[in-house]
Amino acid sequence: MSEPNHGTPSTPSRTAAHTVSRTVRTLRRSRTACVGLGLVALHLAVAVLAPLLTSASPTANVPDEALLGPSGDHWLGTDALGRDVLTRVVYGGQYALTVSFAATTCAIALGTVLGCATALKGGRLDGLLMRVLDAVLAIPPILALLVVVTVLGAGPAVIVLAVTLVYTPQVVRVVRAAALGVAPLDYVTAARARGERTLSILLREVLPNIVHVVAVEFAMRASWVVLLISSLSFLGFGADPPTPDWGLMISENRTAMVVLPWATLAPIIALATLVVGLNLSADGLSRAWSVDRTEEAS
Amino acid sequence: MPRSPGSERGVPRIRRRTALLGGAAAVSAATLATGCSRTGAEAASSVPEGAATGTPADGGVLRIARPPASQAETLDPADSLSAYEYLGALYNRLVRMDENGETVPDLATDWESDDEGTKWTFRLREGVDFHDGTRFTSADAAYTLRRILDPDLASPQATVLTPLLSPEGVHTPEPGVLRVELDTPNFEFPALLTNYHCYVVPEGSGGSIGESGIGTGPFRLENFSPGGRGRVVADEGHWEGRPVLDAIEMFAMTDIQARTNALLAGQVDLLSQTNLDFATARVVAASDNATIARSVNAQWYVLPMLTTAEPFTDARVRRAMKTAYDPVHLLDVALQGTGVVGEDNPVPPETPYWTDHSLERDPERARALLSEAGHEGLQVDLYTSTYDPVFTPMALAYRDSVAEAGIDVRVRNASADSYYTQIWMQRPLMATYWYTGRPADQLLNQIFRSGSSYNETAWSDPDFDDLLDSARSTADGDRRRRLYQDAQRLVVEEAGAMTPMFADRLVGLSREVLNYHESGFEFDYLNIGLRP
Amino acid sequence: MLLYTCRRLLSAVLTVVLSAVLVFAAVQLLPGDVATQVLGQDATPEAVAALRDQMDLNRPAAVRFLDWIAGAARGDFGLSPVSGEPVAHTLWPHLRNTVLIAVSTIVVAVTASVVLGVLAGLYRDRWPDALISTLTLIGMSVPEFVMATLLVLLLSITVPVLPAVVLDEATAPVADLLPAVVLPTIALSVVMTAYIVRMTRTSIIDVMAGEFVTTARLKGISTVRLVVRHALPSALLPTLNVIAMNVAWLVGGVAVVENVFNYPGIGQLMLESVHNRDLPVLQAIAVISALVYVLCNLAADLGAMALNPRLRTGGGSKR
Repeated sequence: MSEPNHGTPSTPSRTAAHTVSRTVRTLRRSRTACVGLGLVALHLAVAVLAPLLTSASPTANVPDEALLGPSGDHWLGTDALGRDVLTRVVYGGQYALTVSFAATTCAIALGTVLGCATALKGGRLDGLLMRVLDAVLAIPPILALLVVVTVLGAGPAVIVLAVTLVYTPQVVRVVRAAALGVAPLDYVTAARARGERTLSILLREVLPNIVHVVAVEFAMRASWVVLLISSLSFLGFGADPPTPDWGLMISENRTAMVVLPWATLAPIIALATLVVGLNLSADGLSRAWSVDRTEEAS
Repeated sequence: MPRSPGSERGVPRIRRRTALLGGAAAVSAATLATGCSRTGAEAASSVPEGAATGTPADGGVLRIARPPASQAETLDPADSLSAYEYLGALYNRLVRMDENGETVPDLATDWESDDEGTKWTFRLREGVDFHDGTRFTSADAAYTLRRILDPDLASPQATVLTPLLSPEGVHTPEPGVLRVELDTPNFEFPALLTNYHCYVVPEGSGGSIGESGIGTGPFRLENFSPGGRGRVVADEGHWEGRPVLDAIEMFAMTDIQARTNALLAGQVDLLSQTNLDFATARVVAASDNATIARSVNAQWYVLPMLTTAEPFTDARVRRAMKTAYDPVHLLDVALQGTGVVGEDNPVPPETPYWTDHSLERDPERARALLSEAGHEGLQVDLYTSTYDPVFTPMALAYRDSVAEAGIDVRVRNASADSYYTQIWMQRPLMATYWYTGRPADQLLNQIFRSGSSYNETAWSDPDFDDLLDSARSTADGDRRRRLYQDAQRLVVEEAGAMTPMFADRLVGLSREVLNYHESGFEFDYLNIGLRP
Repeated sequence: MLLYTCRRLLSAVLTVVLSAVLVFAAVQLLPGDVATQVLGQDATPEAVAALRDQMDLNRPAAVRFLDWIAGAARGDFGLSPVSGEPVAHTLWPHLRNTVLIAVSTIVVAVTASVVLGVLAGLYRDRWPDALISTLTLIGMSVPEFVMATLLVLLLSITVPVLPAVVLDEATAPVADLLPAVVLPTIALSVVMTAYIVRMTRTSIIDVMAGEFVTTARLKGISTVRLVVRHALPSALLPTLNVIAMNVAWLVGGVAVVENVFNYPGIGQLMLESVHNRDLPVLQAIAVISALVYVLCNLAADLGAMALNPRLRTGGGSKR
């Protein structure tokens, strides 16, 4: 529960355009970030273009073609209900990406707002909020998630809500530390004394300078969320059949792995490459921007 | 139940893939088909495509993986949470059911009724002892029956027996004779005693039987923990002779995949109450230490519509749901053809009282019925779970099949652990199954009669109840059969249960297991053994 | 030093109590009456009333919370409405089994990650570093249930050397459970190692670049000695925190892995209780996990303080 020291206390006067151009430059320098973002972009493209990439339906059951090995018609074979494995893997990204990104966005947005607010306000509110967040952090995420999902019923909206609930506290801590790094309390007090409103301090001075921290946090958090959601699917709390979803596919086909390896391996590879992409992005970006990542394991 | 496919109804609807095990498992398939050292007589009496038979080793320990019922499960046969696998090993009934659906002797050697079908006399087997050494007499049999009727116990079988029998009607004129006077005539009465809640327990044992498990069966209880593991050992003095095995160990495992992995890794020898899906069956059959035995038509699958819940309160909606789907598609997708179509009638084909009445599939008619009922473009949730691997494929195939009639089915996954407490008889539409091996009278009364505790669709039709009453009291066999068949027609046309198919149970077992034999609720604990 | 420890202890206690309040409140907010939940829809009003009475649902929530927390402090978590037995009866054996996995996982993962981290740090940007980094990345990207499934396939079914599932019950003696601990430990260690290695590597690189290392090198001290005596202790410092965080992660990761192996641990119990809506058991698990989490963080903080004199405030000079 130590607070990270931020290596880059920067002058709070950088313009947005400057940030963008610097980002492009750092990205050009960091091969890791490029590979990572490239992988994620590839997954996004495949998910969006899925209907163009394959003409087969990911949910149509064709009993006559069940349990086939790889062939010209079915490059990765078919599963027990005769559905084309490759088609399901291609479509599988839609669920994983939509739900994960929605959940991550919500957690990051809420966490950033709360984190900045508590950093700028300081005092009693800050102390109380951090105490409560510590307590929330102490409850295992999977337990909180399972309880929410059983009570409200499994569905994409519920999962987004549950993940937001579980991950927001961690984002708050990271963002709060970053915000304190760029705008120490005495600085904010000074700005207030000059007659600036807290909101404008937040928007003009703080947010632009912690964008990089938030971006790294997003990539890193997203990789966790993808894994968590696939675990939920695996445990039977995720997507409802026949939704093509990687976690569900792994769970459905894992016993038949000896006979039909691709029905399990293909979704595993898809899932792993997405997470690798997100991890590399987080790595590359944090190195390029020298964002301290000691808190990341939380 | 011997299968005689297509004998009467030569329609190509009974499509059965002979290549069950596919190319990968050709070797094991050959073993399956021929058995190992099967003698002529044994081959004739065993189920086709059954387990290996032969002379087993003396003794040995069989390890069975079973799904846990709950923390509250008990060895009390009459209880609704009885631990099913233990019952057949520990206890006997008065009568049991053979493979042809006929009632045959167990602890009762013979029985007869008066001309009205109200006074039944059972002569009991002599020289049978309980595991604690006390002699079995008619007092124990009478106690068992009266106990089932006890409303405080709330035995599921009570809903079947209470309408025809009161505790005062059970008499013990001699230690070797049990006389039962029914309130209403019933020529099917002995068949109702083949039920697995009717295992005989010692007189006065009601308070302790749940833990003690004292019966007259081939095995004695060594230990048992609810929802956990347990062990039974051979009873040297069993009246049919000592069983082949020394002991049976039972392990509870919730996850079907965990059960399968345990079998493949050689940690257990048999998966009970586990119907493997086709893909898993292929994996098991292809493995070195395990194989598959098929228990033919062992269970029927059903999509019960709760007739007390919207929109299924409307008979037209129920009819539409039934005419909208194609059972052949369900059979093909969910079972890969390892079964036969059900035609919404749960009485197994080719059994004595079966009738072949069925509804024609007609999506247009279904659409018309729905718009008539004001439910055009009906949207329903269909609950399923990993409790049984066939549920989800069946639900998905049903979803495909009714789309043509404009019905939008959303398949919802529910947790396997609480499926039968939170979903069954709670949600308007879900997927479930029943074991065959019930006499037609028991089946129809228990699952479809108004107010019965297993009436999963909460269907209530006085005409149907009347038909069952008159069938029971009809002495003439042919007339009785026609009445039961009329009752089945009502089930097909009006009731809430969609019964798309009867399935062979694909049982996973070790290649070491010999003489595994199970049909309906009858598991042969006496002869099952291990390879020498 | 003492003052700091006391303050940290106090804040730890406060955190646990606060999470207990949160858990209790969340359970109260759940829709649906617990009594009806347990008894089912068709329960008679009398039965519901009796159970409500038995579960003390008729008293104010605050009073019930105080009662419950007082009981919990004594290790009494009340009765489970599902099995009818005291929660503690089922909780402790499951907890013991999970601790078995957790401890072996931590030992394996920390050892492996220190070795790999030092190697990667010493051979920075050369092939051992690249290899370790790649493996680490894969370890972080493959979900633990995939790892578990692959291990079963490999070491239980293809080459049957280890049990695929646990046949024993929660109360089985530890000796019986030991063979079953191996595969879950491997599955969890792979993931955990991946996270810790990165930290150890960075720390080693930082330390080895430091001035005193250059001085020591000039004095002719060997690399091994340098690493073991000087670099490791300072490198372990930031690692401690990561380890503490990972212990908290274990509670979640273990649920999925226990599910695959049918292992009778706290994760299995948690899944079962979620299915059965056995809220008292869930509450107990949540509070115990919170306690473990807080204790681990406390230990990490105090450990860091012991390793790094600069962090000691106040009474540091008294030593």
